[in-house]
Amino acid sequence: MAIPRVLNRRNRILLKELTKTDFKLRYQGSVLGYLWALLRPLMMFAILYVVFAKLLKIGGDIPHYPVYLLCGTTMWSFFTECTSQGIQAIVNRGDLLRKISFPKYIVVVSATLTAVINMLINLLVIIIFALINGVTPSPTWLLAIPAIFELYLLSLGLAFLLGSINVKYRDITSIWDVLVQALFYAVPIIYPIAMVASTSEIAAKIILMNPISQAIQDIRFGLITTETITAWNYLASPVTIIPPLLVVTFLIFGAVVFRRKSKFFAEEV
Amino acid sequence: MSHKIGTRTEISDPTAPAITVQNLHKSFRLPTEQTFGLKQAIFNRLRGIKGYREQKVLKGLDFVVNQGEFLGIVGRNGSGKSTLLKILAGIYYPEKGNVTINGTLVPFIELGVGFNPELTGRENVYLNGALLGFSNAEMDKMYDDIWKFAELEDFQDQKLKNYSSGMQVRLAFSIAIRARGNILLLDEVLAVGDAAFQQKCNQYFESLKDNHQTVILVTHSMENVRRFCTRAILIDDGKIVKDGKPDKVANAYLKLWS
Repeated sequence: MAIPRVLNRRNRILLKELTKTDFKLRYQGSVLGYLWALLRPLMMFAILYVVFAKLLKIGGDIPHYPVYLLCGTTMWSFFTECTSQGIQAIVNRGDLLRKISFPKYIVVVSATLTAVINMLINLLVIIIFALINGVTPSPTWLLAIPAIFELYLLSLGLAFLLGSINVKYRDITSIWDVLVQALFYAVPIIYPIAMVASTSEIAAKIILMNPISQAIQDIRFGLITTETITAWNYLASPVTIIPPLLVVTFLIFGAVVFRRKSKFFAEEV
Repeated sequence: MSHKIGTRTEISDPTAPAITVQNLHKSFRLPTEQTFGLKQAIFNRLRGIKGYREQKVLKGLDFVVNQGEFLGIVGRNGSGKSTLLKILAGIYYPEKGNVTINGTLVPFIELGVGFNPELTGRENVYLNGALLGFSNAEMDKMYDDIWKFAELEDFQDQKLKNYSSGMQVRLAFSIAIRARGNILLLDEVLAVGDAAFQQKCNQYFESLKDNHQTVILVTHSMENVRRFCTRAILIDDGKIVKDGKPDKVANAYLKLWS
């Protein structure tokens, strides 16, 4: 895995073909096929919208709340899909690892790229909904790009780290499933962060130090409304650096662990 | 957990031998418990049990493969042939010793790597091709030849699960022979398909021999060793016990049972 050959010709071909195959296989044998990439997050959104916005009447004072909610759930789905697919990638592709020699990270990246494609399709839906909802296009939309990228890098770092442990200890898959459920409530997706801030400012600050919250709030700030509370407009200046620092730490640590362990994947998987 | 690691180096030097193997060792850790997982690992740690047993597979191999040699590797089941091939291919890491590969190496540990039953024949051809290092454009060019050689033109858009196993192997073989490299590693890929197809395979091996292609072939067929190989190695219990003319090695192999 020396630096110069990280993305040489052969690896690029492999990455492209494996991603294509992953994407095809995901919706193989279903009547609606690729449409499920769109329908799943939309259905989750519909449920959350009815329960939280209509029945519990949360988020009344946030402008464009339905799209704000949709944006949050979509990005959350992106994060969970990316990590869970990435963590299982090495085990799922075990047959390949045992038969040909290639940089193992390609398998993880190709598994997460399927999630990226799904997310991009859903991003289009968010933009359409936002326009229908009366959000005016603005240059702040561009701010969503680095935030989405940050969320992706975090997922990738976690996938590398947990995926390499998962080869030997398959418990990781189950542990992560539970952890993701818990994390969902620790991220301001269904509840507005302002609601937390009104009872405890400290709690709101801790929530925003989570890079997932920070990234999702930044995406909402850029795409939906500049009234969104974000890490950088709510946290004190030196603390703002914590979420991106966590992302970088996970990515580097994940890559180092993965690189060290990947030599033995073929034997252990 | 610390693994000792040997080295596997890739060079490109037309004057050097194709493959050099020095003092190659490899052992595997076989878990003694049936269940894998975190719980077992913690229990084992607490009880001071290793939880695995060391199985020595290769016990110090030394050999050099010259360019243009057609080397047969023979031995009983479990003697370490396939492990050796996987180390040469870079799939397993050498535990101790050095392996030097000169030039591009194309491994066929198994035919049809990555074949997926849910995909069509066409999709599988492109996927398998990518695993062998071919781009889509290159695959486009040889696409028709692949199907013609496999004699399966009518099944291109059928899902692979509807192919018989013989058909799958024929398709896989037909893709595999397009691969170009300085060194070919072949593991038990002969003896596929019916007599007519067998004929084509033999022609392919003859052509490799005639072109002085460097080939390493792991096989149980002494007939093939005698017919195609220019040299053979007999491995028994992780060690080389005979290295030389195919005829002599084949005889030594047959004597293992007498």
